Amino acid sequence: MFKYLFAKAEDIPAGSAAVYFGFSSIVWFVIGTGIGSFNAAKLAFPDFVTGSEILSFGHMRQVHVLAVILGWISMAFAMAMMYITPALGNTKLWSEKLGVWNCLLWNVGLSLGLFLLWLGITSGREYSDLPWFIDLVVVFGLLLPLGINVWMTIKTRRTQGIYTTNWFFGAATFMVIIVFLVGNAPEFFQLTGLTEAYMTWWFAHNVLGLWITPVAAAISYYIVPKVTGNPLYSHRIGHLHFWSVVVFYSTPAAHHLMSAPLPEWLKSFASVEGVLILVPAIAFVSNLLLTMTGKWRMFVENIEIKFTITGVMMAIPLNLQGGFQQTRAINWYIHGTGWIVAHAHLALLGFSTFLEAAAVYYGLQTLLRRKLYSLGLANFHFWMLLIGFSTYWISMTIAGLIQGAGKIYEVPYIDVVIAEHPYMIARWVGGTMVFLGNCVWLFNMWKTARAGTVIPAGRLPHELAYER
Amino acid sequence: MAFREYKVGARMFGLALGTSMFITLYMPSLDMGSVAATASAMERQLGFGRVGGFSYEDPFLQGWAKPVTVDIDKDPKTGAPIEPTRAYVYEANVPFPNGIRHPRILGKASEALSETKGHVTEADESHGAVFVVRETTQNGVSVPYIENVTATKGWAPADTIAVSSDSARSYIGKGKIMFVREGCWWCHTLLPEQTQDWQYFGAPPMLGDFNGESPTAFGSDRKAPDLTHVGSRNSSREWMNLHFFNPRLVQPHSIMPRYDYLWGDKDANGKPIDYDAWRTAYNDYESGKTVYPPEVPLPAADSEARALIDFIINLK
Amino acid sequence: MGWRFDNPLGTLTTDDQNARAKKLWNEEALGAITEDNNRLPQPIIGLLVLTIVTAFLITFPLWGQRPNAAMFEPYIELMDAPEIQGKSDDEAMAFIVAQVKASGNEWLPKLERHPVEMDDLRLIRDQVIELKNKGVDLREYNIVGNKVVLANFEGNKRPDGTVERIQPWWDKGYTIDIFFIIFFCLGVMIAVKRLPEYDWQPTHGDH
Repeated sequence: MFKYLFAKAEDIPAGSAAVYFGFSSIVWFVIGTGIGSFNAAKLAFPDFVTGSEILSFGHMRQVHVLAVILGWISMAFAMAMMYITPALGNTKLWSEKLGVWNCLLWNVGLSLGLFLLWLGITSGREYSDLPWFIDLVVVFGLLLPLGINVWMTIKTRRTQGIYTTNWFFGAATFMVIIVFLVGNAPEFFQLTGLTEAYMTWWFAHNVLGLWITPVAAAISYYIVPKVTGNPLYSHRIGHLHFWSVVVFYSTPAAHHLMSAPLPEWLKSFASVEGVLILVPAIAFVSNLLLTMTGKWRMFVENIEIKFTITGVMMAIPLNLQGGFQQTRAINWYIHGTGWIVAHAHLALLGFSTFLEAAAVYYGLQTLLRRKLYSLGLANFHFWMLLIGFSTYWISMTIAGLIQGAGKIYEVPYIDVVIAEHPYMIARWVGGTMVFLGNCVWLFNMWKTARAGTVIPAGRLPHELAYER
Repeated sequence: MAFREYKVGARMFGLALGTSMFITLYMPSLDMGSVAATASAMERQLGFGRVGGFSYEDPFLQGWAKPVTVDIDKDPKTGAPIEPTRAYVYEANVPFPNGIRHPRILGKASEALSETKGHVTEADESHGAVFVVRETTQNGVSVPYIENVTATKGWAPADTIAVSSDSARSYIGKGKIMFVREGCWWCHTLLPEQTQDWQYFGAPPMLGDFNGESPTAFGSDRKAPDLTHVGSRNSSREWMNLHFFNPRLVQPHSIMPRYDYLWGDKDANGKPIDYDAWRTAYNDYESGKTVYPPEVPLPAADSEARALIDFIINLK
Repeated sequence: MGWRFDNPLGTLTTDDQNARAKKLWNEEALGAITEDNNRLPQPIIGLLVLTIVTAFLITFPLWGQRPNAAMFEPYIELMDAPEIQGKSDDEAMAFIVAQVKASGNEWLPKLERHPVEMDDLRLIRDQVIELKNKGVDLREYNIVGNKVVLANFEGNKRPDGTVERIQPWWDKGYTIDIFFIIFFCLGVMIAVKRLPEYDWQPTHGDH
């Protein structure tokens, strides 16, 4: 990687940046889920690794969250953008060199930010925990170079049209920069009080809604038609999906503070808009599942489709939860409980991770021109993720319902803690399965790069048989 | 916008996102910005200082350059007895809270009163100042304001601290830093909800209760009791000492981490704390080998544990 | 940008522009990926309409409301009733509850969810009577432990600029929602109807 930083542009092989981003993302996924498993162990067994400031839960929790969001998910996005955007424009990445630099800056900037968070140097705002100068690094070192590469690649495309995936890539990179700059305004300009609290959740909501959800969906808009060979079912539904993300997903920020004294009109507005996130969800799921028509065998046989369609199907419970749990009718019961934690993991570890994993699997094979080293290990990874995640989600949902009941019936809090204990252990077991599965994945991809079957020119990875 | 008309599409995208931001950012900012700070908001921000997270004056979140809250019953200048008063002491170069540094935070009436009656504009960070929260009645309504008692009564920061005993000093500002740095708010929320649970955790706050405070650290994932009014439920320092050092000493089923490391090297008597010996003794107690747990050391006045307990107990 | 309005359910674009769009759509593959021109399936449209209606219905604040002072006002009035003098607290409370139930109070569902005892009523009685004498709207006050306090709702503004401390059933948030949804639907319908009509499908050249 380092040799390309100062190489001539024409000496850098096409796809280098995407490959570096791909492997970085897997490494961050291993780190992020490893910390997650460690944290979960602490919630189940509070005296596990005790008495050390640096390894205490309060110092590690935000490192887990941001390692997964900015390390795993966002770097997998960057990887996907760097090979899908040019592929859809029948062209090359606008600047491979900028991409390589971007990857280096991303790893360095994120490591620095997480190290500071680990020491406890935080802004004290959930999801935008990073102090403001790291936020600026994120915007100008990580996201802006990525955005420039994506926008310029779309601009210099050699097709007349822009495929739906690239609408999302181009728009989401732009929106996430706006979200970071505006959402961190309380720190830049010292805004205070409920304005600060509201802006914190405006950021948190929109970084999910305008970055993670649409980009993850956009990836599957590429993977499913590409691997199945079917045309996308409907360009029209693509319109409905894209516009409803911009319109409905950017507005419900206030529904995260339904129990705070915000103006009631804002909550009413946000709550209706919050249910309407089902509009992009319905459009997305129906479009992708209808694209699968005639190719459902691949859901069983093909690892990328297996990951993608599992992720797409998880969008159904995810959005039903997300749409309805924020309304006044339901929020009073489950707000602030483990139910929400389960929901957040359904969004990031369920829905989105499965879509990105498919992109990383497919992209690394395509770019390295190597067939996946072992299908068995990939399937093992898939089932570890799925079973581990499901264990986590079910146990935290039950724990959340217990907490909700405890809250409504005003049970002494310690009784809730006691009742939750078995589910905390189950959560730790599930999280640890995800972590172990990811270690296997890293090994599998490393062996793919070193020892995978070479894919002949003109063939696609899924057209070749597995050797192991 | 027809098939592949991207210029029109790009403009529609800008319009959609812009409208969304206008409704979700600009419109609520008018409502929230027009709300006057309550007395509680003034007490909170004066106690916490300018920022509760990362800041120039405290980049490593050690609780540097934070105000000290003192409860006094003697006039620091004359030594004459006065009504029990809570004063917020900003020593030289401790940044003032946002309600004093910035306009349009306290609300029109309070801001005007703080300037005319409270002389807050005469306060100077490079010399420090002492503030108290007062209330007066205007048109039949009680209006809180901040008074710069260094200007009105000549209370110097050093004198104000000097007339208070150690137990009357609360390091609330430093404690809030500990609360944020140690991630207490990942489990303990600071926001009783508008629905049922407030019978247990107390009244939910009003919109004006946070003006000038940053971060509010509401928390979102309540794995432990809400702490907004914890000082009213439990104000025992002895209990807090045990609970922070090892929560299992007072609540065997607690899943809270031990915060013994906040005690630092020495206890209140200047004696070094032997953590290894303490843990060994505790393990013996836990496994039933001994009947009593080891004594928990008292935190030193400048320790982080003391500041955190001060913060918690003052959440009323 | 040619427009036509004689076939709004088919296409809003002129034939020559559609012909160009169809040619391009047929011939071009974007990274070997093509798109079809299928319409939105009708069940999905039904689901979308249902979503929009549900969004409003479920947002109206019908559940999860906390006890307010107005709810207990009839209870407190009955505390002086001659029938209960000399009775034990439990009997008196049962009498009060039965009386209020029989009189058909608007708060009955909430009263059932928030049962109280005579001791609870005694704690709030004087405060509620005092507020009543002041002439304030008791619905704006909530019971917190043994105190009756102003609710923290930031509801609709009254003409004099003060805020109602009541969760409103309708406010400007819903109004903005309605306009927002209308503009969205119009925008997407125009965008989609500017495409060639949906009974035409691209053949994707030789892909």
